[in-house]
Amino acid sequence: MSEPIIFVDDLHKVYRTGSVLVRALRGIDFEMAAGEFVSLMGPSGSGKSTLLNLIAGLDKPTSGRVTIGGQVISDMDEATVARWRSAHVGFVFQFYHLIPVLTAYENVELPLLLFNMSAAQRRQQVLTVLELVSLSHRLTHRPGQLSGGEQQRVGIARALVTDPMLIVADEPTGDLDTHTSDEILDLMQAVHESLEKTILLVTHDPRAAGRAQRRVQMDSGRLSVETEALQIDNCKLQIEN
Amino acid sequence: MIIANCKLKIDPVLKFLNLFLKNLGRNKVRTTLTALAVIVLVVIYTFAATVTDTINRFFDSHSSQSRLMVREKWLIPSCFPIRYVPKIASVSGVEDWTVWHFYGVFFDDAGHAGAGIATRIDNLREMHPGLENLDPALIDAMKRERTGVLMGQRLMEQMNWRVGQRFSVNSFTHPGKNLQFKIVGVLGADAWSRNFFFRQDYYREGVGDMDDVNIVWLRVSDVETGKRVAADVEHLFQTSRAKLRAETESAGVSRVASRTKTVINIINFVVAILLIDMVIVLANSISMTVRERRVEMAILKILGFQPSFILVMVIGEAVAVGAGGGLLGAGLAYAFTWLNSAGQLPFRIDFLVEFPVPAKFILHGFVVGALVGFAGSVIPALGTRKVRVAEAFSDAG
Repeated sequence: MSEPIIFVDDLHKVYRTGSVLVRALRGIDFEMAAGEFVSLMGPSGSGKSTLLNLIAGLDKPTSGRVTIGGQVISDMDEATVARWRSAHVGFVFQFYHLIPVLTAYENVELPLLLFNMSAAQRRQQVLTVLELVSLSHRLTHRPGQLSGGEQQRVGIARALVTDPMLIVADEPTGDLDTHTSDEILDLMQAVHESLEKTILLVTHDPRAAGRAQRRVQMDSGRLSVETEALQIDNCKLQIEN
Repeated sequence: MIIANCKLKIDPVLKFLNLFLKNLGRNKVRTTLTALAVIVLVVIYTFAATVTDTINRFFDSHSSQSRLMVREKWLIPSCFPIRYVPKIASVSGVEDWTVWHFYGVFFDDAGHAGAGIATRIDNLREMHPGLENLDPALIDAMKRERTGVLMGQRLMEQMNWRVGQRFSVNSFTHPGKNLQFKIVGVLGADAWSRNFFFRQDYYREGVGDMDDVNIVWLRVSDVETGKRVAADVEHLFQTSRAKLRAETESAGVSRVASRTKTVINIINFVVAILLIDMVIVLANSISMTVRERRVEMAILKILGFQPSFILVMVIGEAVAVGAGGGLLGAGLAYAFTWLNSAGQLPFRIDFLVEFPVPAKFILHGFVVGALVGFAGSVIPALGTRKVRVAEAFSDAG
């Protein structure tokens, strides 16, 4: 089994809402191996989105540390973490969040604009991932001309196009019907298996969570339960009470 | 994949142009209306700036310190005996001289007017600023043709006349003394474009005015000589029936200019208010855009775009709308001037004959529009820095 690449050590996050302090995370210890597919479940307000934000370098912890691929991203400044994020993390959103004025091709190409690549290199990369998500025939369509499932495929292609080490997906099927959800989950599973991508999936849907190799439950800012944990070397989950 | 070997580089080059242009087309109605507002503003700005520029250029070209204007001290318009002229011209320090007889006319029943100046033709080029490069052949033609006139360019355009054409006028300064003229040439200089010059001898015989002159112009070598000559001339006629005032052209023009400047300042003030108003309108439009695209901007940040890129993108969009609108507005104003002078419009705009928009104002309009876009977008664009990516991501899930 692969070595862990994500280390989360004693992670705390406290928000201030008006005069009230909200303890969103209360000491999380968590590891993920390279190529692992983990789902994160929990009720609203349990802290799963906060944990996702911190692992993806979108927010800073109040205390604790996040190390990914040997780099402590929780210590990076905003500009550095933005550069790191663009190279190492792919994002899939519930509401796709494609740029409405750009075509499917241009949306997928967007993250590559930050790299020193020729137009031909970008084109090759974009066509490859759009082929992977079976959307080669929709290159020039804008998001408004695509179905929800197709838009999410474009979203997945955009997440894959930079060949990131980690893909984080926040309720990627939350806005889709059952049939389309299954198609998207099939695709994510295929991405995981064929490209050996590390995927962290946040979901309320037990069926979606069931596609993961490991399911982690969160409650009140703590990791509470791990189910169907696979035997991954050097990978541990600390459950706090 | 290829990307493994690629270095990260945020490079504001053509590859971002597509995103930039498509953002401009995002809300076509709003972009068009904002651009239209800038176009209207820049058209107004261009005409106002043309008026002030034309007036300022007139004053600048008539601000010589080595030309003296001699006029009657109290009368408006100035008028004094022509027999004074030899005495004035003989004052020590005077290098050259000429006279002006004013001859105001209507060219037609529609009220198109012009200011005729009867003067010496032999030294017309030397004594009139802006005419230094006048073709000597035109002077010769004037010498040959007793009724000849050199016509200001805008008068020619206004009346749609051609060289060689004969015309008669209806004088409002000399009622009943209506002369006939033949156009022998056109004055290229802007400063004289509303005037026409003709021979002094034809004027005196034609209107029967053998006794008076309106203005005498003197040329001197330098400022100090000019001051001395002016004092001598005034002293010479101190006890005469008509007392004279002699001053440098610059001083005379400054006096007139100080009154005109008030009008110019009012025009400039109104234009400044309009510009500020336009900045506010644009700021409102950009604020709406930023609010609408807040989540989208967060997504761009999530994808790795730096806050400075998003800032530049928002400002760039506003500057593009402003600059484009400015270019179109000033271009329209210039095109109207050109079409008007070429007689290509179904109607005639006399204002544009009087104050033609110069081509350089197209660039001015572009710059003004861009500056308005920049000023209007800075504060809304700074608001994009407050977009927190974590909030947007949470919103999404």
